[in-house]
Amino acid sequence: MTDHDTPPEFRELRERAARLPKSIEPPRDLWPGIETRIAGKRPGKGERGRGWVPWVLIPLAAAAVLGALLLSRRGALERSGAWEVLRVAGLPVVGSAPLGASGAIRVGEWLETDDSSRAVILVGDIGHVEVKPDTRIRLVRALRSDHRLALERGEIYAKVDAPPRLFFVDTPAGTAVDLGCAYTLAVDSSGNGTIHVTGGYVEFDWSGRRSIVPLGFRADTRRAFGPGTPYAEDAPQGLRQALAAFDFANGGAAAVRRALAAARSEDAVSLWHLLERVDPALRRDVYDRLAALVPPPTGVTREGALRLDRTMLQIYWNTIRRVAWRKAILQGIRDIDPRTGTAR
Amino acid sequence: MTDLVRQAQQGDHAAFQSLYREHVGRVYALCLRLTADAREAEELTQDAFVRAWERLGSFRGESAFASWLYRLTVNVVFMSRRTTRRRAQRVFATEDPGALERPAEGREANPGLALDLERAVAALPPGAREIFVLYDVQGYGHAEIAELTGIAVGTSKAQLFRARRLLREMLES
Repeated sequence: MTDHDTPPEFRELRERAARLPKSIEPPRDLWPGIETRIAGKRPGKGERGRGWVPWVLIPLAAAAVLGALLLSRRGALERSGAWEVLRVAGLPVVGSAPLGASGAIRVGEWLETDDSSRAVILVGDIGHVEVKPDTRIRLVRALRSDHRLALERGEIYAKVDAPPRLFFVDTPAGTAVDLGCAYTLAVDSSGNGTIHVTGGYVEFDWSGRRSIVPLGFRADTRRAFGPGTPYAEDAPQGLRQALAAFDFANGGAAAVRRALAAARSEDAVSLWHLLERVDPALRRDVYDRLAALVPPPTGVTREGALRLDRTMLQIYWNTIRRVAWRKAILQGIRDIDPRTGTAR
Repeated sequence: MTDLVRQAQQGDHAAFQSLYREHVGRVYALCLRLTADAREAEELTQDAFVRAWERLGSFRGESAFASWLYRLTVNVVFMSRRTTRRRAQRVFATEDPGALERPAEGREANPGLALDLERAVAALPPGAREIFVLYDVQGYGHAEIAELTGIAVGTSKAQLFRARRLLREMLES
């Protein structure tokens, strides 16, 4: 664990980490709570200590057995194609039975909440999904390689810590594919909805149409249209309206031109998506506006981008997403140039 | 072994309170960085000191009291992480981005740099963040981390690489 073990490209980072303050005072005095909890107790001796009093161990042993039972139950649930569900409020229903404090949802079963109930679904061992009121959701698959729910209507908040493409949520307007993220997904009674990403990235797919929604962005989804073009949380109203017209209302070239006029550097994610979605005749305008807002990196040429060269589009995307990410992560801390992602 | 530790082992609450005052900043910093959640960090800090009191008799002075306490704290955090209910109720970094912005004693000379890194660390995926904090901030080795957290050494190395790569990308200027 010396610097010899640290690759040169990470040494500066390691040095900065080592310089972080070792001590941070908590915002309030925590001692009173501790004092209450240890009041009347003698310091314990630990497993090897003297004064070993067997009766003291009874509740500990009971807790250990209970813990082991819970763990084995959870493992058994996963092996049998089911996930654990916790009731948060009200009376959620799994299948046809009201959920107790906790229970299980099996593949094929629906979980339904009314206007006053909420629940949490533990997604195997990779994350969890908070099920908001008035939601109907089904467990589709519970495999280690495919954790899949279907959201018919309502709202969920999903948080997953796993490699990309292990967690999916099907909706009437397409499928949200986890790329290592946290997000809120809402679907109304007609199957339309919105995804709002609060950590990492989500890919939303429908019938070959794909949107990649990064941290700090939203995308509207429509049944029979799939995902719309992602837009920043603070995107100008004019841009949002133009994108909605283009994506879902046959707004055509006029809508695209309105979008280009309204876009800022912060909206490069939106324009990058438009590159592939517009007619070739309009693509030049989109590219030129995008290049003016976020200059293309080395390796990307106008000609290549206009013929939708996969590699060049990916290189450009990597720059755009990195700029957007830094802007979001360092909001309020550093003034990040939305054209380059560097601190000003 | 210091007099304070000996007195606390005899049941002296005042001595244990002094130990608390001496170490609470480091214990809280460790909990805060591992969880990226201020409220959870407060709870876990209290849990760690209660656990320390309960196990004080097993401390024989073979290592520094601080080392023993921080190791116990890491155990408390990871035991808590394994508790499904707490995990389900956890508030994640992205929802509490201000958790690490609080002014605190002992910040390094250039607070902007520290805040950048603190914010970036808090935004890491939990698995990567925990390994980064234990390895690069706390100075544990991969074998110790594997023992403390129950993951394989290879997983610890992979998560550290992932964390460093993400951080470098975030912190480039």
